[in-house]
Amino acid sequence: MLRQPIVLIVLSCATASLPAAEDGQWTMPAKNYAATRYSGLTQINAQNARSLHPLWTFSTGVLAGHEGQPLVVGETMYVVTPWPNVLYAFDLRKEGYPLRWKYRPDVSSNALGVACCDAVNRGAFYADGRIVYNLLDGHTVAVDARSGRELWKSRIADLGSGETVTMAPLVVGERVIVGASGGEFGIYGWLKALDLKTGQTVWTGHNLGPDADMLARPGAFKPPYDGGVDIGAKSWAADSWKTGGAPVWGWISYDPELDLIYYGTGNAAPYDPEVRAGDNKWSASVLARRPGTGELLWAYQFTPHDNWDYDATGAMVLADLTIAGKPVKALVHFDKNGFAYTLDRATGKLLVVAAYAAVNWAKSVDLATGRPVIDPVRQTGVSKGKVMGVCPSLEGGVSPTSPPAYSPRTHLFYTSTNNLCMDYGAMHASHLRATPYVGVDWAYHPGPGGHLGAFIAWDAATGTKVWEDKESYPSWSGALVTAGDVAFYGTLDGWFKAVDARSGAVLSKFKVGSGVVGNPIAYRGPDGREYVAVYAGIGGDWSLIAGDTRSDDPTDVREPADFMKDIARHTSQGGIVWIFGL
Amino acid sequence: MSGRRRIPVALGLCVALACCERTAAPPAAPGSAVPPTIAYEAHVAAGGIAPAGGVLRNPHAGDAAVAKAGEQLFHAMNCDGCHNLGASGWVGPNLGDGRWRYGGADGEVFASIYYGQPKGMPAFGGVLGSDGIWTLVTYIRSLPLPADLPTESWEQP
Repeated sequence: MLRQPIVLIVLSCATASLPAAEDGQWTMPAKNYAATRYSGLTQINAQNARSLHPLWTFSTGVLAGHEGQPLVVGETMYVVTPWPNVLYAFDLRKEGYPLRWKYRPDVSSNALGVACCDAVNRGAFYADGRIVYNLLDGHTVAVDARSGRELWKSRIADLGSGETVTMAPLVVGERVIVGASGGEFGIYGWLKALDLKTGQTVWTGHNLGPDADMLARPGAFKPPYDGGVDIGAKSWAADSWKTGGAPVWGWISYDPELDLIYYGTGNAAPYDPEVRAGDNKWSASVLARRPGTGELLWAYQFTPHDNWDYDATGAMVLADLTIAGKPVKALVHFDKNGFAYTLDRATGKLLVVAAYAAVNWAKSVDLATGRPVIDPVRQTGVSKGKVMGVCPSLEGGVSPTSPPAYSPRTHLFYTSTNNLCMDYGAMHASHLRATPYVGVDWAYHPGPGGHLGAFIAWDAATGTKVWEDKESYPSWSGALVTAGDVAFYGTLDGWFKAVDARSGAVLSKFKVGSGVVGNPIAYRGPDGREYVAVYAGIGGDWSLIAGDTRSDDPTDVREPADFMKDIARHTSQGGIVWIFGL
Repeated sequence: MSGRRRIPVALGLCVALACCERTAAPPAAPGSAVPPTIAYEAHVAAGGIAPAGGVLRNPHAGDAAVAKAGEQLFHAMNCDGCHNLGASGWVGPNLGDGRWRYGGADGEVFASIYYGQPKGMPAFGGVLGSDGIWTLVTYIRSLPLPADLPTESWEQP
C-alpha cells in the first residue's frame, strides 16, 4: 500500500524526458514519447523465453477487435475495451488481480455504424493522476487513476458529420492531443489539444484546407519539398478539400528537445481520386506541430494524390540513428503504401526510403524530390475501371493499427506486415452527411510467395530487411522488443509469439483464444518480476473482411473472405487480456 | 467536389397513407410522409395479445424494374458503404441472408430505413421520402437467398 505514492512521484519525472531510465511501467500507448515500444527490462531474455507461460487471463466481455494495449502505472493495470469503452483497473498486488474499480461511460450506440471498421479503441494515456482516453462516439474522458471517478468528459467530434474517435491520445504537459477517424465519411480532418485539467479545447489544427485552418504561419511552416500559400486547399480540385478526409486514427509521438509532436494523416476522401485532382495535401502525410500552440512546422506527404487508400496513420517512431557514418535524429515510418521512410525529424527531409513489402504502384521514391515515381498502370479512378494487381492492398504493407518497435540494442525495427495485393475499382460516391463517402469495389489476393503476412526486422539506417518470419495470415498485431533481446507479436489466427530479436527464431508460442490485433507490453510487477501482457480479440478490418469469424448475431451471417477461407477455422471473436511470465 | 447526392425524381411519388392498410393504429397527419406505428410480426406479445399496429404494403412489391432502380439507389445513397456491394454485410448487417435484426416484413424494413435504427443506421426518411424507401425495400427483398447458410465446414467431404 505504501509504495503507490512513491511510484507515482517517480513517474511524473520519468515521463517528462525521452530516454528515461527503465521504471518497469507502461504509462503511455507506445511506452515512451519516442514511440519505440522498447522496454529496458531484461529478466525475460533470449535464453529463458522458452519457458514463458500464461499466468492470468481476463475476459473483457466485449467482442469487437481488441487493438491497443494495457497500461501499467505503479501497481495497477488499466485496460480500455472497444465500444462500449469500459475502463478496468486491476490491482496487481493481490492474488488473481481483482478489480480496484471499473468505469462504464455513457457512450452512444450510434457510433457503431459511423465507425468505418469495427468499434475499436487504441488505448489510454496516464498523466498527472489521470487516465485519459477517447470514446467511440466522439468524446474524450479523464478518469481519476485512483478512484475511477470521472473528472471530465468533453465532446470533441461530431458523429453526425461522420466523425468517430478510435485513436489513443497523447498528453504533453497540460495538453491532451486527440484526433478523429472518418476518412470513409469525408470529414474535414483535424487534430485538437484539450486542457488536461478541464477538457476544454485549446487549439484545433486541420490537416488540410487553408493555412489559417491548418495553423500554418507564412515563413514558419516549411515543408521540405513544397511551398506556397494555402497548398492544403489549392492542391485539391475546386473545394474538394472540404470533404477530403485526412483523419487522425493512429499514433502520436513527441520529441521534447525539438518540442514537436508527429502524427500521420489518413486517406484522401473519396476513394475515387479523379474527383479530387491534385496532390491532396496533407492527406497521407506526416505533420509536425508545436504541442503548446498547434502551430504547423513541417509536413511530408508519403502518397501524393492517394489512389489506393494508403493512410499514413501508422506510428512515427523517433530514433537516433547513424546513417552513412553520421548521427541523425530520425523519424521512421512504415507506410501502408509499402515503403519504409527514414526522415530527419527536425526538417522532414527524406534520408532513406525502401520497399519493405511487395510494391508496384510506384517504382521508387526520389530522394531529391521526396516524391514517388508512379507506375501509371496502377493509377485508379472511375474512368479506369477495375485496376488489377495493385500491391500492397489497402490493408497496407503494414497496418497502421500494428505499431512497430525499435531496439536501441540491436538498432533494428520490428513490425508485423501484410503480404496482400488488390484489384481496385473506384466508383462514384455521393457526399451525404452521416453516410459513407467511399466508392470502391475491391478484391484481395495473396502477394508474392503466397503467404499472407510476416513479422520482420528492419534496418532503417540502410533500408534493408534483416530477417523475416513468414505467417499464414495477415499479421496485425503491434510489436514489443525488450532489453532481453526478445521481440513479441501475435498472429491473426491466435498465436502469441516470442522471438529472438537478433535472429527471428521463435522462442515460444501460445494459442491465446482469439486472433491478436493488439500490442504487447512488458512491465515489472509489484513482486519485482517481469511480465508481458497482450490482448487477444480478432477484429478491426477482419470483423468485416473475414466476417465468418463472428458469431455474435444470428441475424447477420457472413461468408468467408475469398482470399482467406479458413481463418474462422482457427479463431473467433472474444476479448481477453493475457499476462505471461517465466 | 463532384460527389453530389442524387435523389431520383423520376420515380413516382407515393403518399405513405395510400400505401398503408391501417388497422387500429393512430393515423398519421394528413399529407405527411410519416407512416403510422407499424406492427412487428416477429415480436412476442405480453399475454399473447398483439397490440394494434399498421401493416405497410409495398406498392412496388415484386416489380423488377423498381428493384433495379433500388439497386442504383442503394449505391447512390451510400447504403453499400456500410452494407457492402450486393448488401452482403460490412459494418452494417448482411441484408441478403434472409435473417432480420429488426424484422423482415416489407413494412418493418421500410421503418428501419425511414427512421433509422440503433447502432448507427441513419434515418433516410428525411432525405428520400416514402417512395425512395419503398424502392430500396423492393431491391432488398429481391436479393437471392443463399442456399446453405448455417453451416461452414472445413472438412473434406
